[in-house]
This record gives sequence, C-alpha cells and structure tokens, in this order.
Amino acid sequence: MSPEAHSLSRRSFLRAGTAAALGLSVAGCGFASEDDPAGKAAEETPIDVKVDGDLVYFNWADFVDPAVFEGFEKEYGVKVVQSNFDSMEGMAAKLNAGNRYDIIFPTAKWSERLAAGGKLRTIDHARLKNAEAVFGGYDYFADPWYDPGSRHTVPFTMYKTGIGWRRDRLGDLTGSWDDLWNDKAKGKVFVLDDRDEVLGMGALKLGLDVTTGDPNDLARITDTLRSLRPRLRGFSSDSYNNLLNGNADMTQAWSGDMAAMLAQAEDPSVFGFEVAREGAPVNSDCYAIPADAQHPGTAMLFIDYMLRPENVKKNIEYIGYPMPVRGSEDTYSALVEPFPQCLVTTDDLKDDRYFRNGTAKGEQHRDAAWTDVKAG
Amino acid sequence: MARRNRSGTARPPGAGPAVSGARLWTWLMLPGTLWMTGFLLASLLLVATLAFGTTDPLGNPRFGLNTDNFAALADPAYRTVLLRSLGYALITCLICLAVAYPVAYAIALHGGRFKNLLIAAIVVPFFANYLVRMYGWSVVLSDDGPLLKALRAIGIADDGTKILQTGPGVIAGLVYGFVVFMIIPLYAAMERMDTSLIEAGRDLYGGPLRTFLFVTVPATRQGAAAGCVLVFLPAMGDFVSAQLMGGPDQIMIGNLIQDKFFQGQNWPLGSALTMLLMAVLLFGMLGYLRRTRKDEAEAVR
Repeated sequence: MSPEAHSLSRRSFLRAGTAAALGLSVAGCGFASEDDPAGKAAEETPIDVKVDGDLVYFNWADFVDPAVFEGFEKEYGVKVVQSNFDSMEGMAAKLNAGNRYDIIFPTAKWSERLAAGGKLRTIDHARLKNAEAVFGGYDYFADPWYDPGSRHTVPFTMYKTGIGWRRDRLGDLTGSWDDLWNDKAKGKVFVLDDRDEVLGMGALKLGLDVTTGDPNDLARITDTLRSLRPRLRGFSSDSYNNLLNGNADMTQAWSGDMAAMLAQAEDPSVFGFEVAREGAPVNSDCYAIPADAQHPGTAMLFIDYMLRPENVKKNIEYIGYPMPVRGSEDTYSALVEPFPQCLVTTDDLKDDRYFRNGTAKGEQHRDAAWTDVKAG
Repeated sequence: MARRNRSGTARPPGAGPAVSGARLWTWLMLPGTLWMTGFLLASLLLVATLAFGTTDPLGNPRFGLNTDNFAALADPAYRTVLLRSLGYALITCLICLAVAYPVAYAIALHGGRFKNLLIAAIVVPFFANYLVRMYGWSVVLSDDGPLLKALRAIGIADDGTKILQTGPGVIAGLVYGFVVFMIIPLYAAMERMDTSLIEAGRDLYGGPLRTFLFVTVPATRQGAAAGCVLVFLPAMGDFVSAQLMGGPDQIMIGNLIQDKFFQGQNWPLGSALTMLLMAVLLFGMLGYLRRTRKDEAEAVR
C-alpha cells in the first residue's frame, strides 16, 4: 500500500465500481485521483476571516449548546446547517464520499489522518482573536503529536476514560482497571463498544503501549480480556444510560459522559467515577476545516466565536466535557464536583496516553484482536 | 408465486389474446427487472471485488488482488458466530411459524369484514423505523422494565432473571422484528386456499388438529416456505437485535460485518465476510428453489 493517502471521491468510487463490473480492475490499481499540486496550494492558503455564507456544520449530535448557535446566527446573520455523525469512521466516509462541510470535529487520531490525507485547510491562529487562551494556556496543544504546530486544528474538548460504577451496589472501588474484574459486579459489567478503548484498557493493565500493534502484545491483551468476558454483560458505548437504568453496576466510561450524567441523575451520590492508577487513555476533539469547505471564512468566525469565554462556559455546562481554554477551569470543576476525576489537567496530556495511528499491519492485528475479544 | 398462477392456471375468460397479454406483462416487468438486476449486479460485483482489496491510510477501500481477507476468515471466531447466527435465524423461523399460523388462519378464515383492518393493524406498526421499534422493545425487556417487573410480581421471575443480553432476548428481538414477514405470505396462502378442503377433512372425521396438520398446513406450505425465506434471510444478517438485546456471547455475523464497515473501516474484510454469509445463504435459497420447483412440477401435473 502506498504511504501517501489518496482521496476517493464518490465519483471515482462509482467509476471504480463500473470498472470492476467491466472486469477492468488491475492489481494494486487505486482508482484514486492523483495528487493535485494546485489543490495542495489552495489548502495552504490562509483563510480570510469573514462571512462567506451559511455554516455547514458536522459534529456528534448535541455537542454544542443550541443557545450558542442562536447567538452566532444572530450576530453574523447566517444560518447554521447542522448534520451529525455517530462515529469517526462514518464522518470520514461522508467526507471521502464528497460531502462538503465547513467545520468538522475530528478526534486527535483522525485529525492526523485527515491532515496527512490533504483533507484539511490550514488554520492561521494569528487571525483568531481568542486562540491565545488555548495555545497560551495549554502548551501541549501548541505543538501536539497529531498536528505539528496545530497547523490544521484547534482543540475543542478533552476527555479521559475511566470506570463509572454504582456506589450504592458496590461500595468503594480500588482505583485500578482490576476493578472491572470485581466479583460483586459479575454479570453487570459493560465495556465500551470501541476497539481502541477496550484493547487500550487491556494494554494499560499490562503496562503496554495503548496503541500497540505487536502480535505478542495483542495476544497478551486478548488473553487478559478473555478472563473478563464471562463477567461482561455487554459492549456498549451508552455507558451512562446503562448505569441509570440499572443494567450496569459498572462500566468503562468516558469522563465527559459521566459528567453529563450528573445532570440527569436524581441522586449523584449513588454513582462514582474513577480513573485507574495504571493510566487512563486521554483524547481530544478538534475544530477543523475540510479542504473543500465552501464557507471557510464563516467557519473561522465560528471557531473564534466558540472560543469566547462566555460561550466556552455555556458549552462546557451543556456537554459536560472540559475544553483546553484558559479561564474555563473553574466552570468545569464546579460542574464535576461529585466526580473530580473527570477533570483533565495538563499532567494528563501525554503523547503515550493517546490512541495513535498505527501501521497498516498493526491496524490489521488490532482488528483481528478486537474480533477475538468481541466474538470470543 | 403470483406468476405461477398467471401462467399455470387457466386465464379468466375475456382476458384478450394471449400473445399481446404476455407482451404487456413483459414490458411492464422490464424496467423493474432491469433496475433490480443492474443495481444488484453492480453492488454484488463491488462487494466481490472489494473482498480482494486493501484499505489505504485514510480508511478508503482500494481494489486489488490479494486473498488476505479470505485467509482472515479462517479465524475460528467467525465460525462460532456464523453457526450461532444460523441457529438464531432457524429458531426465529420456527417461532415465527408457530406465532404466524394461528394469526394468519384466524384472519383469513374468520376475519370476515375485519380482514383488511386486522391486516392493517399488523402492518401499520411497521411503518415506524425498525431501529426505534427495537429500542422500544429493549426498554420493555430491560431489567427494570415492565415485563420483568410484572413477572417478578407474579413470582415467575426473581431478581436475578434477565432477558436482555441473553440468547432468548436476541431471538425475542428477531421474532418481533420479522414475524410480519411470516404472517403476510401465510395469510395470502390461506386466502387462496380452497376452504372446501377443510370441510372435506372434517367430513372424513379429522379433528380440528388433524385437519389443520394434514390439510391446512400442506395446502399453505408454499406460503410457509416463502415466509421462512423472508424471515430467515434478514434474521441471518440482522445486527440491531444482537446489538440492543445481546451481550458478548450473542454477537451475530451481521454485527461483525457492521463492525468491519463502520468501526474498523475495513471494507475489504467486511466484503469478504459478506461473501461468506452470502455463500451460506445461497445454500438455503437453492434448497428453497428446488422445493418450489418440485411443487410447481406437481401442480402442473
């Protein structure tokens, strides 16, 4: 496989289908558009920060306070055209199929992939009035591993992975991933329906790299997870509903979801959230502007608008995820007072705690390991 | 089956000259047939060729000529899941048959002027999105849901009883999802059935059960066979039921395929798995076709 990424637009995909139908397919032939130097230059051109049309917005559902959208529409006289994805893969597939958006919210790992594939415009931070609070306050994001110099992205939210549990049924836990093996919770344990998170949990328990693609490491991880399987009730990323409706006594959970649960729980003291001492995977979502965005200027204005302190506060309170914006820390710690471990500090931000992109072979090994874990 | 009636039985009087009638039918069928064949073949070929492909760093499928994806299917996990899916789909078929026969029988033979209303009552809920209905069903079956609460109240279930994340839970979801595909063809078969056969059965001293088993069931077996196919195929490929109602030990082949396409973004491996599933289903379909051909031959004779 060629190391450089090729885009596969909807048209070329159909063309590929036709070619295949005609029996013209040739080994190794990618059916992908060739590298386009003019397109590269366009991606690098700084974006004029001005209203150039309505904002076509693409994010997880419910990830921005509706009041913030309304404010933006009013102030700039534009409409926000919303659509949602339910997975990073789904988002990438839509982008690759040629759908055009002005702003998207990839995770760190996907930011790296999309930028490497020439799918993102560069963002000149100097043109964003409020970017200083991000890059001045959180050094880590000034030059993150996934996007050197943060040239294509601005960080949006941060989160960790830990264990949420029913304090009323299990009492206190020990603060280790071993807690998932707790006999009292047997048959009422969920893990996330997410390859990286589950394999990463096994890796951290064994002291291995969270994104290892090494077959020996993966064999050890799947062995460890096999012993968890009889205790598992399921794979589900709907962690807080599982806790709330009593199906789960304990579940692997994203910190932001647990914080969001606090708003819904009648009695938060019934629940707990801990982060394992062996280490917690950390992740961040980013703002990014696709290379083929039709209204990149409006997208720049939107990012700047989202970074205004009052909007950061509103969004944090609405979605329950902290944002790496200086001055927003108090808002978040007040929000997660019952679950202090939801806080993401600068100490948590470490390269080796992120899920990173592996080699093609490594990804294949991880896929196979995940099938083993899931299908048993 | 409708076609067999048209060609196999005498045409009603006054239906016009046979040639122009046949030509009309041909022309009417042509666009639909071309549409279906064209897109079926195109997508089939895409899946078949993708199965030999690879994935590029952005997760895009690339065509190629490697057989790694088929080699990967040797993983025993796939066999376990495939066999489990076959088992679930078969049990689903049997339960659907058991549920649908009395329903179709009652409506077709005793529905009277309420027939259409009753059929509508069965079909209308299916206008709601499948996923939404399944979500609702999973709420009904949940640990603190109404069903288990009621069962606990009358002492049939205890605190530890659960339906969700068990095999029966998944099958309950599948039956709920697909039973209508059994009821409708059975109903159609019973509508067409010559009811004097039932009277004849009674005249020959068959009790209600014997008459049902030896007269009604054989007379409607084509409807039952069609229903089985209509239930079995989607049940085999379903991933929603196992996702919402199943636990780690109830994963079905549809879930693995869905994982490959969405989560893993490994379309080539997903395609190879799809080919495997289709090969398995093809066996079932061939059996069905042979069966119906035999029936047709008998009917013609």
